[in-house]
Amino acid sequence: MIILDPKRAFRFPIEAKNISPDIFAKKSSKEIAALQMWEGNRKGALGDLFNIKNDSGSPSEEFTIKIEGDASKLRNIGARMSMGHIVVDGDAGMHLGEDMSGGTITVAGNAGSWAGSKMKGGTIEIKGNAGDYIGAPYRGSTKGMNGGKIIIHGNAGYEVGCFMRNGLIQILGDVGLFAGIHMSNGTIFVQGNSEGRAGAQMINGKIVICGHTPVMPTFTIDSIKPKVKVDGEKIEGPFYRFIGDLADNGNGKLFVSKTKNPHLSPYEKYLE
Amino acid sequence: MAVITGVTCPVCGTFCDDIELIIENNVIVEARNACAMGAAKFLNYSAHRTKKPLIRKNGELVEVSMDEAVEKAAKILVDANYPLMYGWSNTSCEAIRTGLELGEEVGAVMDNTSTVCHGPSILSVQDVGIPSATLGQLRHRADLIIYWASNPWSAHPRHAERYTMFSDGRFEGSTWKSYLSRLRGVMSRKKIQRASNLVLKQDFCFTPQVEEGLPSSVHQKRRRTIVIDVRKTRTADAADCFFQVEPGTDYELLQALRVLVNDGELDVDEVAGIPIETLEQLADLLVNCKLGIIFFGLGLTMSKGKHRNIDAAINLTRDLNKRTKFLIMPMRGHYNVTGVNIVFTWQTGYPFAVDLSNGYPRYNPGETSAVDILSRDEADATMVIASDPVAHFPRAASKNIAKHPLIAIDPEVTPTTMLADVIIPPAFVGIEAEGTAYRMDHVPLPLKKVVEPPETCLSDQEILQRILQKVRELRRDMN
Repeated sequence: MIILDPKRAFRFPIEAKNISPDIFAKKSSKEIAALQMWEGNRKGALGDLFNIKNDSGSPSEEFTIKIEGDASKLRNIGARMSMGHIVVDGDAGMHLGEDMSGGTITVAGNAGSWAGSKMKGGTIEIKGNAGDYIGAPYRGSTKGMNGGKIIIHGNAGYEVGCFMRNGLIQILGDVGLFAGIHMSNGTIFVQGNSEGRAGAQMINGKIVICGHTPVMPTFTIDSIKPKVKVDGEKIEGPFYRFIGDLADNGNGKLFVSKTKNPHLSPYEKYLE
Repeated sequence: MAVITGVTCPVCGTFCDDIELIIENNVIVEARNACAMGAAKFLNYSAHRTKKPLIRKNGELVEVSMDEAVEKAAKILVDANYPLMYGWSNTSCEAIRTGLELGEEVGAVMDNTSTVCHGPSILSVQDVGIPSATLGQLRHRADLIIYWASNPWSAHPRHAERYTMFSDGRFEGSTWKSYLSRLRGVMSRKKIQRASNLVLKQDFCFTPQVEEGLPSSVHQKRRRTIVIDVRKTRTADAADCFFQVEPGTDYELLQALRVLVNDGELDVDEVAGIPIETLEQLADLLVNCKLGIIFFGLGLTMSKGKHRNIDAAINLTRDLNKRTKFLIMPMRGHYNVTGVNIVFTWQTGYPFAVDLSNGYPRYNPGETSAVDILSRDEADATMVIASDPVAHFPRAASKNIAKHPLIAIDPEVTPTTMLADVIIPPAFVGIEAEGTAYRMDHVPLPLKKVVEPPETCLSDQEILQRILQKVRELRRDMN
């Protein structure tokens, strides 16, 4: 296990795409210390910013990188990783696990926006809150998250799962506006409330909201379901099942808790 | 006395090019054809200006030579780890080009005022594209004008007169006369009411005419104007039809219209406070026009939903193009905010929020945009040119600007210059210096020099060139 201990509190954004098990593997501590890092507009080395400890555990253990302390200024941690583990003790910065295809990332604190951006596989678990655009693609791209799993124990911001194509995003807390906007497949499971506009412009896929949420006028009611399946697990309802977004000829499924959303009862007249 | 014709007006995005200025002894004494905003700038631009460079020494701003101010500014930029260079929308494309060269040299984040204006429009254009045209096309051909969440009567006073409802195009005439007769009707009703009150000695009221659905004037075979906004503006008074939207529900309304335009049905009875029956009539109107245009303003880009509102508006335009010809255009604010997007894109590949700190351009609004960088207190020096962020940014961001060295290149006295450590006053572009700027429909027009600037004031481009030269000297000495 490689342990990275920040030498000081960081103030400027740091380009940290070199902090990845794929890059660290088969490198000595000296080689790791020489890896290039940009801090603001100054080019430096990883060794200038972190004390590097090589704590070789049992050889069977998968390759692990642990960042001790605050990493909220570190951008692109674990970018393009395909194996191993990254553990962040504090907060993690933006673009956590961008384009990753395997391995796991665990963050004890909060994570910035664009966590799991464009990810294709692997797991990201965030114990705190997450920012906006979780699993979303780069600006202007329509290729969002295409596999893997993101679990957020706290709340998440706006546009979670934007342009999502596959995979699962699970939010135990609340979610902001536009969860699952433009999504074409995959699942978003929100255990808390949603601020609204969930599934806007979605073409396909599944969004499950267990808390309170407004529903877009461009969704049409389909049925009431007693339970819904998420990632092989049955979630107890009952749920209103909406289909949309009609504006985009979509066939996305939006499941909304019946008990938490009495304001949606007028829709029931279309089911009789 | 000299008369200069064909002057472009350096105020709003309409960028009128038919201004006539009367000059006497190097002073503009009359501005013909200009609106109130344009005339105010041409006649009073010099009233409260700074004329000499200033540097803050021991908390006081003191006058210094141009060389000293340039050296100090260059030193601040060279020393900074993550400088931000912000503004640009009120200067010429030539100055912006030099500014980008300077930004690349010092590894700065370059951002312009679109970031708090039509930046969201640009984000959605990158997502879904934009069907647009030049204003000339619309002047001659558009028979359905929609001002959505914009109020040109106040913000772009000559827009309606030059390009839309009050312009006389080749195929579509002005609706000025019908507006006047409507206005006369309102005035006569008021007169009768006043007279009746005096005679009858009691409040007399006309029974308001209640029309079913949309007013009949929108079905006439002439150019029609619709205003969709959260409040009844002056533009709405002049329009044929006004729809009042509940604040923060434009996105729902746009999406619902998309369904109706595609002959779909909705489960709800009203959207954004407007009954579905009325929306169906509006959808009919949109589909049945010959050439429609949506002009949208900051009411869409800066309200709940931001760039997704524009995403929906552009998609509505796209849907309408299956049935008729429809276009969409943002109502850009500053006279050269379109130009700054163009120059940024041509030089770096991205229109705003460009981070050059790693030696190559990176773009990600939210991460590399001025307000976000300042709110997170990441920038350790700021250079502001032709803008006033302290007055307009969120409080936390403004506070952080003031914490670190601040350079202001601005002839006016603004909250930003009051907090600055270095102030370099330039000549006013479009009055005392020439250049190029882009109108809101991406048409480049020249900015004219009509009077001589004070001896101590250089143009923005010359100032930036001098700072760039000094930065290069300092960096050479360091290596």
